[in-house]
Amino acid sequence: MSKILSTGIKKDRSSADETRLDDTECILRNTEADEFFINIKGELNQVDRLVSDAVNNLVINFKFISKLTKSHHDMVLAIEKLAAPEGSNPILDLLEKQMVVADKIEQELEMAITSLQFGDLVTQLLAHTSNQVEMLNIELQRIDRQSSWRGGSSKKTLNRIHEEISEAVALTKNNSKRKPVVQQGMQMGDIELF
Amino acid sequence: MVKTILAVDDSASIRQMVTFTLKGAGYEVIQAVDGQDALDKANYHQVNLVLTDINMPRMDGLKLLELLRKLANYKNIPILILTTESGDEMKAKGRAAGATGWLVKPFDPKRLLEVIGKVIG
Repeated sequence: MSKILSTGIKKDRSSADETRLDDTECILRNTEADEFFINIKGELNQVDRLVSDAVNNLVINFKFISKLTKSHHDMVLAIEKLAAPEGSNPILDLLEKQMVVADKIEQELEMAITSLQFGDLVTQLLAHTSNQVEMLNIELQRIDRQSSWRGGSSKKTLNRIHEEISEAVALTKNNSKRKPVVQQGMQMGDIELF
Repeated sequence: MVKTILAVDDSASIRQMVTFTLKGAGYEVIQAVDGQDALDKANYHQVNLVLTDINMPRMDGLKLLELLRKLANYKNIPILILTTESGDEMKAKGRAAGATGWLVKPFDPKRLLEVIGKVIG
């Protein structure tokens, strides 16, 4: 872990120094790694906030458009009733076209209900990813701590560290909670009655 | 008589979309933000159907389902699960806990209304 994050820093050292990390360096690099993972989580939270904010605004817009559409629909019906006794064909034709438009808007709004559920899927996926990042951080920090306890990351080969990191990733994968969202698009989901 | 549906989801946008769809079809809707909130409301109101998410804070949908089925007046009430989860294992758990049906998000309003109509008549 430490080596991954600090290969650049270590270039100027002698070979003996290269493989030995004192406690202070370990602590500093752990903090660095921690901050790095905290930043990733912070960015995931930021994405979540932006998505939630966008969804809230879209839902408000949706409700407003829906209300206006209903009102427009009612208005067309009322005008149709007023125009009917006169038998004004051009007006009736126009109103009929308006009704077709109103129906089309209603259909589109219904479809928007399905699409507007994306916020929930995104939030759940972000929470899942954030959880995985946190678990990976814990595992990598553990490897780092173990290296210092052995008094010698000095004696560890790069290969061994790579192996431990691979093990940590595998452990994180195994311990991660089940992925809550597998959908790849916003098509309607399955329905099953028991 | 107007039928009442308890809609349970921790996502405000999902609650709003469900409520919009159900109210548009003439149902009365009570919203709950998680399983615990739903259980409290279920004790206070008698509803004709419960539509609940699974992954929620405080109390998840499966626990809610299990507790509702222990209440005398919820033994035979249809309880539909509306969730992002689509795995067979979870569905089996839902079925074992007494769910009436399983709907995977995102839902289509027409299909949701069809299913609800089918289970509550």
